[in-house]
This record gives sequence, C-alpha cells and structure tokens, in this order.
Amino acid sequence: MLIGVRKEQELAEQLRRQQAPPQSYWSIVRQQFRKNRMAVWSLRVLYVLGFLALFADFIANEKPIYAELEGESHFPVLRSYAVGLGLDSWEARFFQNSWHEHDYDYAIWAPIPYSARTMDRKNRNYVAPGDDQDVPSKRFWHWLGTDQLGRDVAAGMIAGTRTAMLVGIVAMSIAALIGIFLGALAGYFGDERLRVSRIRLLLNGLGLVLAYFYGFQVRAFALNEGSFGWEVFKSLLIAVGLISLMNVLASWLKNRGIWAKPVIVPLDLGVMRLIEVVNSIPGLLLILSIVAIIEEQSVFYIMAIIGLIGWTGIARFIRAELLRVRNLEYIEAAQALGYNEWRIIARHAIPNALTPVLITIAFGVASAILMEAFLSFLGIGVAAEEVTWGSLLNLARTKFSAWWLAIFPGLAIFVTVTVFNLLGEGLTDALDPRRKQ
Amino acid sequence: MLQYLLKRLLIFLPTLLVISLLAFGLSKMAPGDPVEQRNRDMGSGFQRPLTDADRVYRETSAYLGLDKPVFYLSLSSAAYPDTLYRIFKRDERENLVKLIQKYGNWEAISNYYHAVRKADKGTDQLLGKTEAVRSVRPLVKQLYLAYQDERISSLLDKAVSQTAADSTLQAALGPQVAQLQLAYTQLKEQASPVRLYIPDIKWYGFDNQYHNWITDFLTLDFGESFIDSRPVADKMADALRWTLTMNLIAIFIAYLLSIPIGVFSAVWKDSTFDRITTLLLFVFYSLPSFWIATMLVVFFTTPEYGMDWFPSLGLGDLPPDAPFWRRFREAGAHLVLPVFCLTYGALAFISRQVRGGMLNVIRQDYIRTAWAKGLNAQPVIWKHAFRNALFPIITMFASIFPAVFAGSVVIEVIFNIPGMGKLTVDAIFQRDWPVVYTVLMLAAILTMTGILVADILYAMVDPRVSYGKDKN
Repeated sequence: MLIGVRKEQELAEQLRRQQAPPQSYWSIVRQQFRKNRMAVWSLRVLYVLGFLALFADFIANEKPIYAELEGESHFPVLRSYAVGLGLDSWEARFFQNSWHEHDYDYAIWAPIPYSARTMDRKNRNYVAPGDDQDVPSKRFWHWLGTDQLGRDVAAGMIAGTRTAMLVGIVAMSIAALIGIFLGALAGYFGDERLRVSRIRLLLNGLGLVLAYFYGFQVRAFALNEGSFGWEVFKSLLIAVGLISLMNVLASWLKNRGIWAKPVIVPLDLGVMRLIEVVNSIPGLLLILSIVAIIEEQSVFYIMAIIGLIGWTGIARFIRAELLRVRNLEYIEAAQALGYNEWRIIARHAIPNALTPVLITIAFGVASAILMEAFLSFLGIGVAAEEVTWGSLLNLARTKFSAWWLAIFPGLAIFVTVTVFNLLGEGLTDALDPRRKQ
Repeated sequence: MLQYLLKRLLIFLPTLLVISLLAFGLSKMAPGDPVEQRNRDMGSGFQRPLTDADRVYRETSAYLGLDKPVFYLSLSSAAYPDTLYRIFKRDERENLVKLIQKYGNWEAISNYYHAVRKADKGTDQLLGKTEAVRSVRPLVKQLYLAYQDERISSLLDKAVSQTAADSTLQAALGPQVAQLQLAYTQLKEQASPVRLYIPDIKWYGFDNQYHNWITDFLTLDFGESFIDSRPVADKMADALRWTLTMNLIAIFIAYLLSIPIGVFSAVWKDSTFDRITTLLLFVFYSLPSFWIATMLVVFFTTPEYGMDWFPSLGLGDLPPDAPFWRRFREAGAHLVLPVFCLTYGALAFISRQVRGGMLNVIRQDYIRTAWAKGLNAQPVIWKHAFRNALFPIITMFASIFPAVFAGSVVIEVIFNIPGMGKLTVDAIFQRDWPVVYTVLMLAAILTMTGILVADILYAMVDPRVSYGKDKN
C-alpha cells in the first residue's frame, strides 16, 4: 500500500517535471550554486557585511539615534545626514558639548555608542576589552578595546567595513567597465575584422592628439587651480567632443578618393599588448608609484587606481568568450540582418559572455579589499584620520601589548576576503558545465 | 621553434618601450625636486653661503643629468618657448609654466623673470651693507614662486614701500624694483592667451633625459642612486642576496610539500585527508599575509605574552667580520618567520593548483584504462596522471622569476628585511627614480621571460603543443 503511494508520487513528480517549461540558464546556475553549502553561507555573511556597511551610521555612532532633551525630541543621526548635505546645522550646544555629556531625558543609543573618530578621553592609551574601563555603564563598554587616543575599536571596525565594501565595489566597477569594453573589442573584432577607412583612422589619430591638447594641455591651469573633479569632467567633455567631431568629419569624407580605402586595424594585438604591459609590472609597485605622485590622500584615489590596474583579468575573460561567441550562428544571423557592429556587441555578444566574468569579479573584489587594507596598513594613500581595517591593524605594530588591535581588524579582513573567495569558488563550480548532472 | 622564439622576443620590444615610458612619465609627474632633496641630504653637514646656492643647484642638477630636456619632443602650445628647460630650478620652472598658462606671452614673462632675477642679485650684493635689505629680500625670493595676480601685486607693493623707506636701499635697489613693477604691468597688459590654443610640436634632439637613461639601461648601466650616489646595481645586488635567499627557501619548501599534498588529495578525492587539507589550504589561501606577519611579530618576537621565541625585526647587528657560522645562525633565526609567511601562501596556492590539475586528468579515460589493466598506483599516479597535470605548475613557474626578483613588499616591510621589496618601496617614497626605473624594467623583463619560458616548457611537456606553425 505504502509502496504504491510512493510510486504514485514519483510518477506525479516525473510528469510535473516533463510538463514544466525548460529551465533557464540562470535557474540552473542558481540550483548548482545552492548545492555548495560554503558558497551559500558566504553569501549570507556577505549580506551581513553589506548591511553593516550600509547602516554603519546607525550601528556605531556617538550621536543617539533618538533623544529627548529638555522636552524636545531629536533624531541626531538622521539629522546628521541633512547637516552633511548642508541643509541644516547644529545648534551651538551640540558642538560645544560632546554627545555623551548632555542630560538626556531619554535616549536610544546606537548598538555601539561611539563613532570611529570619537576619542574617549577617559579610556585612552590602549584599554583592553577585559580591563577596568571608566564608562558610565555597561552600555558604553568598549567591547573590543580602544587605541591610544581612546577611539573605540569596534566602531572603527564598522567604519572599516564601509570603506572595504566601497573599495571592493567601486574599484571592481571601474575594472569591469574597462575590462569588458576592451576585452569585447579585442575579442569581437580580433586582428582582422575591424576595417576602417584610411581617413577615419587618420582623423581619429589626429583627434586623440587634439583631444589631449585642448582637453588637458591647454586647460592645465584650470585643472590645477579649480575644483579638480569638475574641471576633469569639463576636460573629458572637450576631449570626447573633439573625437566625435572628427568621426562625423570622417563619415562625411569617407567616400572620397584614396582615403576611402579600408585599413585593417589589429585591435586584438593592441589590447593584448596593453594587458601585457599592465601585467608585466608588479601590481603593488605600480600602485605605489602612482600613489606617490598624488599629493592629496583619499581612499577614492586608491579605488580608482586599483580599478585602473585590475581590469586585465576581466578583459582576457571577455576576449576569450567573444572569440568563441563571435563565430556562433546567432551572431552571424545578426550580422546578416545588417545590424550595426556596436549593437551586436552590446546586445548580443556581451550578455552571453558576462557570466564567467562574475567569477573574476568576485576574486577581484577580494584582492582589491586586500590591497586597500595593505595600503592603509602602510599608511599610504589614505588620509591620516580615516579609520580602516588596515590602519587599525597597523596600530598593533606600535603597541605590541594591544593584542586586540592585532586580532580583530585582521580577522575582519580575513573573513571578508574569504567570503569573496568562497563566492568565486562557488560560482566557478556552478558555472562549470562539466558539473551539471 | 626558433622562428617562434624570435617573434616572441621581437614582440617584447614595444611592450618594454611602453613600460619605460610609463616609468619615466610617472617619475616626471611626481612632486618634489630630486635636486633640492639631494642638496638637502648631502649638504646638511656644513652651511654653504647663500650666494652659492644657485651654483650648487646647477652643479647638482648637471651631475644628475636633470638639466637636459626631458624627452625627444613635446606637444605644447605656441606660447611656450623651446628653451624652458634651461630654467634649471624645477619650482621656478613650474611657476613660469603657470604664468604662461595664464598670460601666454613668453617675451613679457621672460622680461619679468629677468627683472626678478636682477632684483634678487641686487639684494644679494646689498646683503652686508645695510640691515634694511633683510626685509626686501624674502619678498623678492617669494616672487619666484608666485603666480596669482593678487599675490604678486601685494608682494610688489610691499617691496616698493620697503625700498622707499630706507635711503641707501632706495638708491641701490630703487630702479630695479621699479623696473620689476613695470615688467609686471607690461606682462598683464600684453597678455595673449590666444597663443595657448595653437598647438606646436617642439623637437629637442637626442641629448635628453629619457634618451640618456634608456641608452644607459640598454648597455646595462643602471645609473646611481639619487640619494646616496651608490650605483643602483650595487644596491640591488645587496638587496637581492636577502630576497633570493628568502624566496628560494620558501618556494623550495612550498613545492616540496604542495606537490604530494595536491596529488594525494586529488587521487583520494573526498577522503578525510582531502577534506581536511582542502579546508586548511583554503584558509591559508585567504589569510592575508600581512595580518599573519603582524600577528607573528606581535606575539612571537616580544616578551609581552611570554612567547618571545624569535629575535626582533631586521637581520640582527653582527659585524660583517663575525665568524660565518655565527652570522649564519643569526640570519637564520631572523629569517624563520618571514620565510614561514612566504611559504604558507605559496603552499596553499600551489597545492590548490596541483589538485585542480590532477582532478582534471584523473577523470580521463586513459587513467581508468591504466587502473583497469592492473598497473600499480605509483606508475598510474606519477607517470600517467601527474605528467599530464603539470600544466598549471608550469604556469606558476613563470610567475616565480619576477616574484623572486621583486621580492615580497609585504613581508620585507613588516619584518624590516633589506631586500628588493623594501628597497623599491623606500626608493619610491624617497623619489630615488634610478632605482625605481631599474626595478620596474627588470621586473617587467623577467615577467615576460617567465611567460616565454613557460610556453616553451609546455611544448616540452606536451608534444601536442607546437609553435612551429603560425597558429599562435
């Protein structure tokens, strides 16, 4: 009897499977990914890290989240966003006294009631987590100890989470943009497919020189003196404008006389040589030499530099994929339909090559975070007052007895790097066609 | 094969050219004046008379070869003179460039600059004669580095009023200061920023900084350090000794352990041994070496935690004439921790690669055949499987050359070992460009050679790979 029921259920299951629409590529990948317990767990840890980074201000803050002071209600944390945007300003009493010293009628504090830069004067000079701490109550305990200036290590770790996540995301976004663009060009056109009329080649060469000249050389004074970001944007606008102008000119002239003769541009060769150049120089040394020429220290420059150097892996991946994809029939069909080359690359070729890039990106984020942590560990490229995992770990070298400074920040770096490495592994397995059952 | 080799070597050249331009360009963009820095470092012992400062600067600059034009040609606007490089002080030159970018009229700017120099000389001559000159002199000096209109005007106004206040000063310096003011007014009136928009390519000939450096480099003359005038080759030889020792030991141990680990965990996949090693190796692989290094330094080299088992940072301070065995033991004790840090990372990486490579091979039919026909485990694993799993190991071999040469910045900085990594990092931050250039170029050459050697090794290991035909 029981056997009959099971048999029936199995049959029903089989029938359902047959009737179900064929699974999409992504659902198969997701299924494969879920089988890898480590990868799933690391994804969960990543969610937690992302949450900590996103809501860092509500998790570690010297300001109360909600406070009643002399009968008035305040939301200082929320309000600090408005102040940051210049929409609001604090009353005098808030910056005369530190946030902990007011006589609140009622206050809800963040889980860690300190900011990364709050200096707790009563707990200076490396107070260990287990030491006697001079705090009003257990609520204000420094659970992970303090550093020489009395800054709470736990708060610093939360701030560091935000920096690390930001570095990983921004640096890899830059790298992915460059890598996908160059890799797709190299892979799709190869050495023989890009035919350009002579005039277009010539005008583009000229356009590059002129774009450099009018965009950057002539505007050097403005670039040095004005607000840097905005001036760079204007320069880029001028450069792009000039090159587009040259291309319009080329389209107009391209059917005249000897200039119309097509030239084959070996794009693949060029991109591969560029990759070779970047890969030949030890990455850390290249980053250090670039950091050395930037006088202003900011973590955003670090992100940009890591991104500008880290694109080669992605480019090679995309190139290899497109070299394969470009000979498939659906691309030929698209070409036969007379679609524009750029449309084929962007709409048809790249989307099919993107998935394996996820693997490279996952490993890339890990190494970007590691790189930033090491740079701030050396005190390079990150402003002195900024608190990151690397800068916290560096403090351990100045005070050997402060074991909590050696252990906790390093553990955070380790966990984050591991999570991204595991994700990369999980994706590799999930995307490997040989593992499909 | 030979043809292939030649082709590959030929392709090195443009890559190296780009790298040399990159390294050179970076050094030119870096802030700071190597000449000033060198004079400061060398001249701290004794005080030179102030009037000599210009001459000393010129001599140092010529000695370092920095008085030549930078590159063969330059793309700039018609407003720039082609003799700008002859203004030998870097900060003065940069200030003049700013003035050009603002006013675009080189004749007027040059007039103004000469007026400043004249006034400067005038104050020099008056230095012993009257006290009042002490108030004017810094004003004139500041003019060399001023480019904003308000700043120059205020400096000039102050200079005029100060000069007028003292009669001897007025007699000796008055005309020069007046001329200076006139030159500046003319500069502003005759401004012609339009010339900035006319592109102009200037040719400087072969006697330039880049040409001199690259030709020296190609004849294996790496130049002298800006900082202490020691030949770069000597400095590198000293550093390489430690880097090579450390890295070779580490890599030897790593390969010695990781090949059996990788092979056995692949052969007995999903056994307890495999599970434990895979997990451990993954953890090792993800452990940031600078964290581990810091922890080792904190816990094992200090008496704080009662585990003061290893000597502190550096390499000890035994004199070089101490007996060899004592020096050997001293260095050995200092190298244990750094070598450990280098080893565990390499070990994890290599074992994982070996395991992956073996797993790919073990699934193949011919391995099953080998088992099926009753071969012993030894020949199946080592002769049939391992030989074909060598590919990833060879790839890694390629990356060993540059790694051994450039050293590990992380480990050397943390353990304060005077190897290549530390040498390079210090050179970058002291702006000791000859050292930086050489390391970057040699590292690049070694990387490319490593890849080439790996490609040749592929062909030797796997007869299916051939470079004879023009397929690559």
